[in-house]
Amino acid sequence: MSSRGSLMFLLHAHLPYVNHPQESSFLEENWFFEAVVETYVPIIVSLERLAADGIRPGIAVSISPTLGAMLENEALEDKLANYIESRLELIEKELARAKDEPALLRNVKLYQRLYTQAADVMHKYSGDLITPLKALQHAGQIEIITTAATHAVLPLMTRPEAVRAQLSVAVEDYIDRFNRKPSGFWLPECAYEPRLNSYLKLSGFNYIFTESHSVELAGAPNGVYSPYRTSNGVGLFARDAASSREVWSAKFGYPGDPAYREFYRDLGYDGDYEYVRPYLGSDGIRRPLGLKYHRITGGPDLAAREYYDPEAAMARVEAHASDFLARRMKQTDDFYAAKGSRPLIVSCYDAELFGHWWFEGPAFLETVIRKIRAERLPLQFVTPSEYLNSCQEPAELTPVVSSWGENGYFDPWVNETNDFIYPAVYAATDKMIETANRFRNQDLPSLSQRALNQAARETLLAQSSDWAFLLYIGSHAEYAKGRLEDHAANAVKLLSEVIEKRIDEQALAALEQKNCLFPRLDFRIFASVSRF
Amino acid sequence: MAGLSRPLPAEDRLVLLPKNPGLFFVFWQFSSGRAESFRNSVFSAEVELSLAATDGGPSSSPVKARWDEGRVYLPVPQQGRSYLASLYVTRNGARERLLESNQAAAPSAGGSPDDRAYASLEFHKRVNK
Repeated sequence: MSSRGSLMFLLHAHLPYVNHPQESSFLEENWFFEAVVETYVPIIVSLERLAADGIRPGIAVSISPTLGAMLENEALEDKLANYIESRLELIEKELARAKDEPALLRNVKLYQRLYTQAADVMHKYSGDLITPLKALQHAGQIEIITTAATHAVLPLMTRPEAVRAQLSVAVEDYIDRFNRKPSGFWLPECAYEPRLNSYLKLSGFNYIFTESHSVELAGAPNGVYSPYRTSNGVGLFARDAASSREVWSAKFGYPGDPAYREFYRDLGYDGDYEYVRPYLGSDGIRRPLGLKYHRITGGPDLAAREYYDPEAAMARVEAHASDFLARRMKQTDDFYAAKGSRPLIVSCYDAELFGHWWFEGPAFLETVIRKIRAERLPLQFVTPSEYLNSCQEPAELTPVVSSWGENGYFDPWVNETNDFIYPAVYAATDKMIETANRFRNQDLPSLSQRALNQAARETLLAQSSDWAFLLYIGSHAEYAKGRLEDHAANAVKLLSEVIEKRIDEQALAALEQKNCLFPRLDFRIFASVSRF
Repeated sequence: MAGLSRPLPAEDRLVLLPKNPGLFFVFWQFSSGRAESFRNSVFSAEVELSLAATDGGPSSSPVKARWDEGRVYLPVPQQGRSYLASLYVTRNGARERLLESNQAAAPSAGGSPDDRAYASLEFHKRVNK
């Protein structure tokens, strides 16, 4: 059946760079392990299953350079293997504990399959999940794009050198990882301002994604339902608010269905303390272990949750996928009736929503894609490059300043809980730029070059949006503050050491081991006149 | 929590960042020499901050702050315009501009918060309930 409109799914996969090789286990590294087991592996398995069945997913995936570095970090891969092994060991105990309780046993077996799947996929790809993603892209099943080097909110980077460095390092990182130039760029937090256009163009990006009101307030003739281009030719796709809200709104969205798995009940909190103690961190504080046996059920009382029923949840996935597609078809019909042309609906989500937060999310995603084929629905999935290559020249538009953050601007990253970080971010950034300008044309000794390159890594890490966000939501706030201060201080210290010709080589080597992303980074990228 | 545990060596710096259509965030730092001048009352203890539209549009009334307060939120004079912030001090009774910021664009208001949903934030907020 010919399509009445196109759907574009963009999954933005990002985690802050967390790597503590000196520690055998580190709490915040669990973010990565949980995301691998609950989100990245299930999504990869779904995409591969679709491809094997001859159904092309046709979605776009943004993989942040920091996440890419963690997915390729062998020390983290080893820790991930230990994490999965430890959970499988606990699951073995749980199988024995649940043997006389069928509703619980069914849940334990569900997690046995989940963690076994993760172990199998990691083994199949020798611990490197970039390999299957690269293969899927190579086969034309998906399109992978990138984002800023350390996910800085670019409109909050007032120095042009800092914006250029975030973009340029991301491009180089992508080429190293995927053996081709990136076509698209995910603006961290969908944060846009017109000043970015020239940097995006000079970095070679063909298109970006912006929040819906960035084009609506700019007088976009088709609203969010068609692509546009900036005055210098960068393509723009605007997020459709309706399809986003249905999937991830806590108030209106599917993930709040009573049949779905409850995120907040976890064996780490519910289990006998001595029983779960070996699987908690070294501090022994109760925390989630990823084994969650209850469904949302209804009502605010977590204690009143009933056991999760996987079959009932999958029935709701079917219903929600049908509902999602019916709503998209209504959108396309309404648009066609009003405008006489076929719309494009752009749905952008954090990848970690699927699986980690919304346990049934990967199944929902796969079901939506399968239903279009199985039910011969008049919709088709397209990747951004496909769409731009096949559509008419998009109309020119100048989007307005915006983000997809709370209230649509920059409040989550600039407020009374986190504004104190910016003097440190700017101190490191300014000193990095000044020092890069000073040494950019000098033939430097290897040690100085190493120190300057590491200072550039530390500066980029200080600019990450994650520290401000964690401070804002009050989650891991001390860690976020410590990381921000460490990176800024490391950068300033290294730069001072180079200037004063007293580099502490041992300390430098330790930092190079710990913050070892962007192996080809050259500090000159921060110089005021760089390779652009 | 609100403050750096390990402040870095400061230099003269005035930075203007957009927050939302109604507010700019401004922070400033002084080099050790300038800070000393404040401590020795060479400069007035209060500084004044103001915004000037880069295209000659409406400017803001000056806002006063202690010299070592270091940050303040300033109302946006007119949405959608670009602004520069300036920091003034008084020396020997004369008003003097000490620092000038970068240029920053104030967002235009619009859209409906109900129409938007921010996954990470919504789920994180539930975590912290």
